[in-house]
Amino acid sequence: MKTIRAAFRYLVLCVGLVAVNGTYAKADPIRIEHERGILELPAPAKRVATINWSFTETVIELGLSPVAVADPQDYADWVAEPKLPDGFVDLGQRSSPNLEALRAAKPDLIITIPDIGMSYEKLSEIAPVLELKLFDEKRPAFEAARDVFAKIAKATGREAEGQAYLAHVDAKLAEYGERIRMALGPDQKLNVIYFFDESTIGIFGGTSLPGSVMAAMNVPMGFTGEVNKWGFARGGLELIAPYAEGSVVYTNPVPDAILEKMFASPMWKFMAFTRNNRVYELPVVWMYGGVPSSLRFARLLTESIENGPHR
Amino acid sequence: MTNTRSRLPATFLILLGLSCVGVLITDFWPFLQKGLAGQVMFSPDETDFDQILFHYSILPRLAMAFLCGAGLALAGAAIQTVLRNPLASPTTLGVGAGVEFALTIFLLIAPASMALFQEAFALAGGMIALGAVYLIASKRGNATLWLILAGMIVNLLLQSGSQIVLLFNEQYLQSIFMWGAGDLAQNGWEATEFVLPRVIIGMIAVLALSRPLDLLALGDETASSLGAKVTTLRLLILGFAVFITASVISAAGMIGFVGLAVPAALRIAGLTRSRDLMICSVVTGGFVLVLIDFIVRQFNGLGGDVLPTGAATALFGAPFIILILRKARIMPGTQSEDQHSDQEIISKTRLTVILGVTLVAGIFVSLFVSLDGNGLVFLGWNADSLDILLGRSERSFAAMICGAALAVSGTLIQRVGRNPLASPEITGVSSATALAMIIALAIFGFGQRAELMMIGAAGGIISLFVLLILCRKFTHAPHYMLLNGLALTAILGAMVRIVLTRSGTQTSMLMSWLAGTTYFTNMDEVLIVAGVTAVLLVVAIALRRPLELASLGTDQSVSLGLGITGFQFAMMLLAAILAASATLLVGPLSFVGLMAPHLARVAGYRLAGGHLLGAVLIGVNVMMVAEWLARNMIYPAQLPTGLIAALIGTGYFLILAVRKR
Repeated sequence: MKTIRAAFRYLVLCVGLVAVNGTYAKADPIRIEHERGILELPAPAKRVATINWSFTETVIELGLSPVAVADPQDYADWVAEPKLPDGFVDLGQRSSPNLEALRAAKPDLIITIPDIGMSYEKLSEIAPVLELKLFDEKRPAFEAARDVFAKIAKATGREAEGQAYLAHVDAKLAEYGERIRMALGPDQKLNVIYFFDESTIGIFGGTSLPGSVMAAMNVPMGFTGEVNKWGFARGGLELIAPYAEGSVVYTNPVPDAILEKMFASPMWKFMAFTRNNRVYELPVVWMYGGVPSSLRFARLLTESIENGPHR
Repeated sequence: MTNTRSRLPATFLILLGLSCVGVLITDFWPFLQKGLAGQVMFSPDETDFDQILFHYSILPRLAMAFLCGAGLALAGAAIQTVLRNPLASPTTLGVGAGVEFALTIFLLIAPASMALFQEAFALAGGMIALGAVYLIASKRGNATLWLILAGMIVNLLLQSGSQIVLLFNEQYLQSIFMWGAGDLAQNGWEATEFVLPRVIIGMIAVLALSRPLDLLALGDETASSLGAKVTTLRLLILGFAVFITASVISAAGMIGFVGLAVPAALRIAGLTRSRDLMICSVVTGGFVLVLIDFIVRQFNGLGGDVLPTGAATALFGAPFIILILRKARIMPGTQSEDQHSDQEIISKTRLTVILGVTLVAGIFVSLFVSLDGNGLVFLGWNADSLDILLGRSERSFAAMICGAALAVSGTLIQRVGRNPLASPEITGVSSATALAMIIALAIFGFGQRAELMMIGAAGGIISLFVLLILCRKFTHAPHYMLLNGLALTAILGAMVRIVLTRSGTQTSMLMSWLAGTTYFTNMDEVLIVAGVTAVLLVVAIALRRPLELASLGTDQSVSLGLGITGFQFAMMLLAAILAASATLLVGPLSFVGLMAPHLARVAGYRLAGGHLLGAVLIGVNVMMVAEWLARNMIYPAQLPTGLIAALIGTGYFLILAVRKR
């Protein structure tokens, strides 16, 4: 089986070489540093397949329609914006994208994450693979997202657009930060929490996407405790008690039943932020996303705080 | 209650009670110092956060721990008495997994308007699981063992079912995973108010029925001759036991082993009358869970995350099974009964012909036919065809080789273990392989498949030696080996859960691999495992004569002083290596190692050589079909092959059970 494959490869290589030689005098290849060393692309990618939603939203934001997307149905519920364009190939689950569907989409670049690194070789047989790390415990998520954004912009030959977008994001974040500080009042610290169930919450830490975006906006975050590998701390409401004098924003989607039970609980009612009426609701934002989700987070956070406390 | 043995449970109980008083004092201490204990219990100062936290979080958590422990222990005591099986319990008989599966589906799929039916759904899940276990095991020669092994099958199947549902709802992974791992965190008295009346109703019902239970314990014949309506009574008691379990799991998630270890330990300590056993179980179970939860609470917040009580309980509880096994005297049934209890559902010749044809046709279909969401698609010829064929053959052959390896492994274990329900999964080798790989990946960050495979293989082999050490000096070593394997599997399962709650972004890849997927395999690995399997199959066939003697129990091989002979040991080692190789390739679950040798024997492949070959033929076919279904059934998404194979295997045993009636 190996020899057949090797022979086939060789054949493809020969044909490829002949083709390349025939149309020589092209520009230098694009070189991008990624988790597997340096990826060289002969030309900017036009048909991009995305295995992860952060890449999907980034590619769309750069003005390109991805040719293949994993988990498109859930994308609508959890990422919401930017909307998926029509006419892409559904790849199935993000944890095991369908290789035959991927091949049929004829991508010229596949962007994936190291979390499913075991499939790197298989993906590489279909098209060049760009493996980018989105979240790294040691590094602020927003910083990583910017890197990813710049690399995808480079790979798709849209560096100018990419830089313009990042500059736009910086300007917007500064503006939103100003507005949030205005609306919250001086010295108010903010915490972003997620309800796991009626007794367990997660608090996003400084390295998480919301945490690092808030840092970029210069909005002070209250929580300083230890976080897990996802960048948040998980536990009972006692986790947030030391920071209860600040404001709290909770993320969506959350089932109504959990919200009702949480808000009815004596511990929630006792918290200073509840009594001071400093609880805000954030609409759906993908908290493990890329730069577009970061900007969306900043915008919705600003609107939510300017619109005042929830309920 | 006058002999000396009955002092043991009393001492045990007093010690536990004292420890719990210690827990209470520790928890209350800050308030006792200020003389606020009464206030904080009944009417906390609403302006003092410490009091609020204590009254609405710690106190209900203590109450919940006691209630859940008491309820589960009572359910366990009732189930053990009714089924006259010292190893039966809500978790070992699949009730817990059934409730969990039903609730997982319900929480993810059912609309909010259906919330009222949640409890009924959970109850039905538990009852159906218990029914399936009972059906598989009933009318068997050695019902005690069969029941436990059947419970194991149903458990593993339902757990992987829950995981699949989660795989398709990755965003909720974290929440449901917590609940599935048994989290006792409280945020008010609501959960306590939910569980309390239900556990009390269940307790009263079970205790009221417990007098006739003593008659039941004497055996069906005695009980019916004494006029008790045995079947109705059994069903009623089992129903209430499931009801308690379902209530506890709905509120607190999966909490294993209290229901098994507490009543079993009490019985060994000398409590034989069911009423005494049950009353003691209630108190002891409550105390035990309060204690374990206290220890778990001390580790909360470590690494920015919580430690789920349920999974930790399994860690504490599983070693108990090994202790119980040393005392519980589970006698192997008479061999002839076990061997011939299943009627031939298909003849050897017909099976061989059918399997030969399906193998050839199946390989063709696997390579050239697929579903793409609209219907059947035949692979046409274009530039990509060769690559697509290579991709498909990689996965199909991986599954088939895996089927062959597990079939050989299972045949060896069933023959040497003299047990028709033994399988590689049940010895814990597969789980140990999986656990080693998961820890290497999630905690130490090994990402390369080759590294992971070496680590996994080492884990599998080590687990086998642990098993052999545990089983030394038992006269019926093969049986104990299986049951110890069961305990080992449970410990490993609990550890897998804990690691998974803490493994971060790689969780979903780990989970699909755990359920058994060919997605990540490559041709080199397939060829290596194929080579290993072929060599070991030839070795096993060459040794068919001693293998036959071993399975008849008449071999005269030199004893190792471990309760098993050198030959048995060698065969077990072969089986372990095969199971580990298969696990490395496609993950730990499939039941092919259980089903293939069983079906081969039932179909009439009685001699060792034929048994091996027949099992291989069946194993290869089953995995081939499972792989095709897994790849195509819900295109473009893919199901784990192991899950489909496990479904086929469970279906097979259910069919057998129905045919027996």
